[in-house]
Amino acid sequence: MSIQPISYAVIRGKVIDTDLIEFGGRGGDITFLAPDPHTLVDQLPLGSSTRMQDLYELSFEQILDYLEELGQRLDINSNEHMRAARELSYATAPTTKPILDAYYASMPVMFDRERIRGSTDFTIGIPYLEGWVEQPINGSNVSIRAYGSRALHIVAGNGPVVGALSILRGAVTRSDTMIKVPSNDPFTTGAIARTMCDFAPDHPITRHVSVAYWRGGDEAFEARLYQPHNIEKIIAWGGFASVKHVTKYIQPGLELISLDPKRSASIVGAEGVENDAMLQEAAVRIATDVGTGNQTACSSCRIVYVMCGTDDDGIEKLKRLGQLTYDAILALPSDLSTMPKRYDPELKSNVDALRLNDDWYTVIGGENGEGAVIVSHTSDLVDFFEYLNDRTVNLVPVDTIDEVLDAVDAYTQTVGVFPDNLADELRHQVALAGGQRLVSLGYAFNGPGLVGPQDGIEPMRRMVKWIVSERPQAHVKPLWELAEGESALVA
Amino acid sequence: MATDVRSAAGSDVSVEREALAWMDDPYAHFGSSVTAMQSLDRDHVEAVQLAGLNMRLADRREKIRTLGKLADAQGIGTLASIDDVAPLMFRHDIYKSYPVSLLAKQRFDQLSTWLSRLTPYDCSQLDVSHCQSIDEWLTVIQAETPLDVATSSGSSGTCSFFPKSKKDYLFFAKSIRPQLLQTFGEAASDADLHDKIHVLTPLHRDGHAASGRTGQYLKQAFAFGDDAYFHPCFDHKVSADLQWLAARVRAAAAKGDATRVDVPPALLARRAEWEAEQKDMPAQQTEFLLRKTRELAGQRVLSMGMTIMLHSVAKRGLADGLRSAFGAGSQVMGGGGAKGVVLPPDHKQVICDFFGAERMRVAYGMTELNTMLLNCEHDRYHLLPWVIPYLLDLETGQPLPRKGRQQGRAAFFDLSQDGTWGGVVSGDLATIDWDTPCACGRVPVAVEIDIQRLSELQGGDDKITCAAQPAAHAEAMDFLTGTGG
Repeated sequence: MSIQPISYAVIRGKVIDTDLIEFGGRGGDITFLAPDPHTLVDQLPLGSSTRMQDLYELSFEQILDYLEELGQRLDINSNEHMRAARELSYATAPTTKPILDAYYASMPVMFDRERIRGSTDFTIGIPYLEGWVEQPINGSNVSIRAYGSRALHIVAGNGPVVGALSILRGAVTRSDTMIKVPSNDPFTTGAIARTMCDFAPDHPITRHVSVAYWRGGDEAFEARLYQPHNIEKIIAWGGFASVKHVTKYIQPGLELISLDPKRSASIVGAEGVENDAMLQEAAVRIATDVGTGNQTACSSCRIVYVMCGTDDDGIEKLKRLGQLTYDAILALPSDLSTMPKRYDPELKSNVDALRLNDDWYTVIGGENGEGAVIVSHTSDLVDFFEYLNDRTVNLVPVDTIDEVLDAVDAYTQTVGVFPDNLADELRHQVALAGGQRLVSLGYAFNGPGLVGPQDGIEPMRRMVKWIVSERPQAHVKPLWELAEGESALVA
Repeated sequence: MATDVRSAAGSDVSVEREALAWMDDPYAHFGSSVTAMQSLDRDHVEAVQLAGLNMRLADRREKIRTLGKLADAQGIGTLASIDDVAPLMFRHDIYKSYPVSLLAKQRFDQLSTWLSRLTPYDCSQLDVSHCQSIDEWLTVIQAETPLDVATSSGSSGTCSFFPKSKKDYLFFAKSIRPQLLQTFGEAASDADLHDKIHVLTPLHRDGHAASGRTGQYLKQAFAFGDDAYFHPCFDHKVSADLQWLAARVRAAAAKGDATRVDVPPALLARRAEWEAEQKDMPAQQTEFLLRKTRELAGQRVLSMGMTIMLHSVAKRGLADGLRSAFGAGSQVMGGGGAKGVVLPPDHKQVICDFFGAERMRVAYGMTELNTMLLNCEHDRYHLLPWVIPYLLDLETGQPLPRKGRQQGRAAFFDLSQDGTWGGVVSGDLATIDWDTPCACGRVPVAVEIDIQRLSELQGGDDKITCAAQPAAHAEAMDFLTGTGG
């Protein structure tokens, strides 16, 4: 009898591996065991938000001390929980072993003290987390402080980092953090939480982290848990179905912070195809944003608009760019990109069908499941652009920038731009059309990290409750002393 | 096309002759008898099918450029078994694989060239320079060639153009009549073969959309062309342009900006026309079916529509005291998704009680097939001999073994196809029990009744990713609305 892997639940410092039932196994996926969520549902909520007082007995520096130590203990070379989780995740993750190894190896870097300090200060402002920040305005002295909330994070599993990020964000905002892990990454976050239980079982941060698996959409479970007296905020990552089914629980007192499913596109200006050196550079930049993490992320480039024009000369340049891009994808280092784990058969048959349609498209590669570059000969996306995945990119020639902007919409997250100066011209129009993030092409995964805005909102600023305390300045006459007709009631 | 067919080396002449008959006019060959069609020994059927496949391939690879390219690329010459044709079957979405800007820019000349790559009938030389709309373009093709192109517009906002020929359409309509009217195991009666039967449909009189155009051919097959026997709800041609416009508007709205609709301005100006037409459409259809059912009481009628609509019509009619409205031998054919509505368990009985049919029939078909499959007494869709079924592995696309009970992506080769190659890979997940004979007595294998769209099965397994996935809507079954599986 084979031993099935376990997705451990961890509730407030306690590891739970009893009442195990089987999950997963659809479409050839592995099955795994997890504690019956219905036995957990009443243990998960904190109860009263006043029970977060213990977090306020920690200074921000003490929080950083904890996270720094956690980061060191997540070292894959010495952490048995993480090694076991990594081993099991090879089967569930959409990416391949070398890429997953790189994610796990980088985990301690996420917990780097200065990195956390900088991003927290940049995004929220540490003084607002540490105390009341007072400012005079409109005759009042207004003090503002950011308080943590009781938050449920429904995390994405395309890379094994969102659980770690949620723990980290919960800690710095002094929140009570509940994490629902997905079936494509059911092991990593539990391993991090078990590490916390090992080294600091009674620490307030450990006592405010819970991790569990339940099947998204389990109505009996969710209707019981997703109540304003249990949870104040739900942070939902991606997945149309996963966000959609959460919305029915949203009511006054329970807020949804939705990181909607997104896709990303890039723009190469006319200068970018001017000569062979520029073509080479554009190609390697496109390849990097397409190939990194095997194109599983929302910020992965899937479509590139190239301002080479749609005349024969332009199409020839685009084909050349396509070939160079294909070569560059195959040349990426294996900790960034590899042959995809499984090339989506639906996508393959779509790509193969275009191979026959050579009046309108040139298909480069893709016969062995390694990824492909599809060069459109007109300013049209492929019909199946929503399925582009597994290192498959569509290069689309355009004559004018308006054609690019027509394709940017509210689903467009990252827009990679080359050359850089094009961004100054474009970013206002991209923003108006619905796009949310501009980067230098090739740097979609090599920027400041998830600091500040994401998908047009600031999730960390939304995670906290902004509390205000007002005091009148000395010169303000109270309403009760004003004669009739003197007062102005304004918002 | 019989004269063009080359003989595959070494094959049996009598088998080839039979294959030719199935390919050319199977209804004449079988005397339109459903018992004759569905009693043949399976080994014999497969031998004829293989001969037919080889003749089709030899002929069509020369005439259909896309097929020729594919066969050359795969290095496929003669087919040694039925399964060998699987890599050469076209996916259903190849019929919308043109760049969509050609439609927006009204480049009908280039669209003709694109279409000509998928059919043996060349339309690339037609003068379409004056065409201002899809309807005008397809009218030229209809007038000048054997083709009668069938359109449908799905939720993705693209319009597909399937190069059906007029012969294909007629064969399609002819495939329904014997299966509906005749009893398997009994000789076809003179009435079953030759009576005019009323056709009642809640759809349009005509149009290039398959949903409109099919009616004209049903009129041929069931009423031998007599307009007095054809009763569509809407007396005009449904416009392929307006259907495409509606699909583009829906797609634009789904992207978050309903004002950015990429169609020619003249078409966009017709948006109000479409909206007016859509307004109250279900109510009009219900009223129409009720009214016509009274008018045609006692006659032999084929009525069709979405099961939900038929059920609500039946409930209202029964409440008004009308029961067993139609005459003996009438048929009612339903289908279509329930769209979230749960029908009561007795809905089929309610429908039959009202219309006066012995049992409710459901059909499975697609624009890309010439042959509609109807449920038998045991609710299975038995094949007709000139249609070869395949189940393909969802991962590899390879044919699953033709034995045991198998589930996979449904694909078919319809040997009677005239306007296209004949092999189509569907978007449906289907089940076939290859070994257990059906209690109804029909010999051919059958597709089980529970057929699901693969697009609806994705994304439901709790794998969460931040990257956008295609929305899992059902493509609108824009084809005999209501009779799709």
